[in-house]
Amino acid sequence: MVDYLTELTFIDYTGYVLQILLIFIALAIVLHKKTGTIVILIASFSLVTASLYVLNNAPDVAIAEVAIGSAIIPLIYVISVSRQREFIVLDKAMDDFIITDEQFTGIGYILLKRFADFYHLELNITNDPMLGRQDEARDQRLIEDTNVDLIVTKDKETGDYILKGKASSLLMNKLEQMTKDYEHVRVVQFKDRGLGE
Amino acid sequence: MNTSASSSSRTVVSVSRRILLVAMLLVLFGVFTVSMLELEELYNDYGRQYFFENAFDETGSRNFVTSILLDYRLFDSLFEAGILLIAVSGVIWISKHDVEEKNARFMIDKYKTPDLFVTFSRLVYPLMLTFGFYIVINGHLSPGGGFQGGAIVATAILILYYINPDKETNIGFIVTVEKVVYLLIIVAASVSIVTRGTFFTNFFPVDAPADLKAIYLVLLNVLIGFKVSLGLWTIFTAFLKEGR
Repeated sequence: MVDYLTELTFIDYTGYVLQILLIFIALAIVLHKKTGTIVILIASFSLVTASLYVLNNAPDVAIAEVAIGSAIIPLIYVISVSRQREFIVLDKAMDDFIITDEQFTGIGYILLKRFADFYHLELNITNDPMLGRQDEARDQRLIEDTNVDLIVTKDKETGDYILKGKASSLLMNKLEQMTKDYEHVRVVQFKDRGLGE
Repeated sequence: MNTSASSSSRTVVSVSRRILLVAMLLVLFGVFTVSMLELEELYNDYGRQYFFENAFDETGSRNFVTSILLDYRLFDSLFEAGILLIAVSGVIWISKHDVEEKNARFMIDKYKTPDLFVTFSRLVYPLMLTFGFYIVINGHLSPGGGFQGGAIVATAILILYYINPDKETNIGFIVTVEKVVYLLIIVAASVSIVTRGTFFTNFFPVDAPADLKAIYLVLLNVLIGFKVSLGLWTIFTAFLKEGR
């Protein structure tokens, strides 16, 4: 065993280090939650794989791997992520915050409309009875399991309107900024749960 | 009462399923290890030795990978190029818009693309294009070839969409050109039936000088690079259009 280790060259060691790094990057890709980080990790995975190909005397394959894996695929992912163009709001409050006199004229609607227009999103407000009647404690679950981006609820004691969304969505920070001027509107961001929680 | 019973039965099912999954993974790992051991016995140098001694004389390519791709196994390479053609048609077929609608304007939101990225893209774009062409043209001398160079050129074209979001592209035209180039590749590969008597090899005779044979290799590399970059370009544009 000791003889084997002393016979290894620098290139062999580099290869082992890169292979271990590959395992860590693969685990990170699976465990991470932020889309942007995952795209960067996928690109770096391809980069490490390409260096392994070079170490194994296959520069042809390495060039193909770099061009496809760490340039084209991440760019396609970035495009696909930025193409997500629908913003779905679940209205649980069911009062004049969004709909007044059977029309979309409430303060909340104007706020959300301005927010959606800023990002060129298509605002889609729903009050699906199946989802809307569920307990408030399940809101986080609802956002994770369905394609709802935002839930609007009303605090029964203070009368505040609470907008709930995912903390990992960059849009939520902007929404929080926009709602600073409104007195009775609060934004709640749900942290992503880790694996197995 | 009823719900708890059903949930407990579901957990039993999921546990047994997990055990089954782990067992399957273990079996797969065992098969993989055994086959790797076999591979070490099968591994030999005969093929490499043959290419090392004869490939340059027979094909005129210093890059033995290119000599295999464009001469010895050209038949396989043609179908590899065909796969991309089929993938492009699949992407266009799946994306629900028709061709006329696709010719509309492209919009990458300028405020979502950072200025640093745009500036850097402007700087890197000509270099990427040059590097792509270099890899395509030197495919028979250095690592690379039509596919790799075509992919790099396609990336440069994709970066162009970030520099100029209002760029318009006629997908129907690109796809037509790609198909024509694929036909040209098949024709260039089949010319050898006239000169050599066999399909899918160099159309210069075997004893021709290497410089002459390089003409065929460069021609085929350029055609393949052109075809690959057009195909990948079509795929991006389909993605860019989707969801708008």
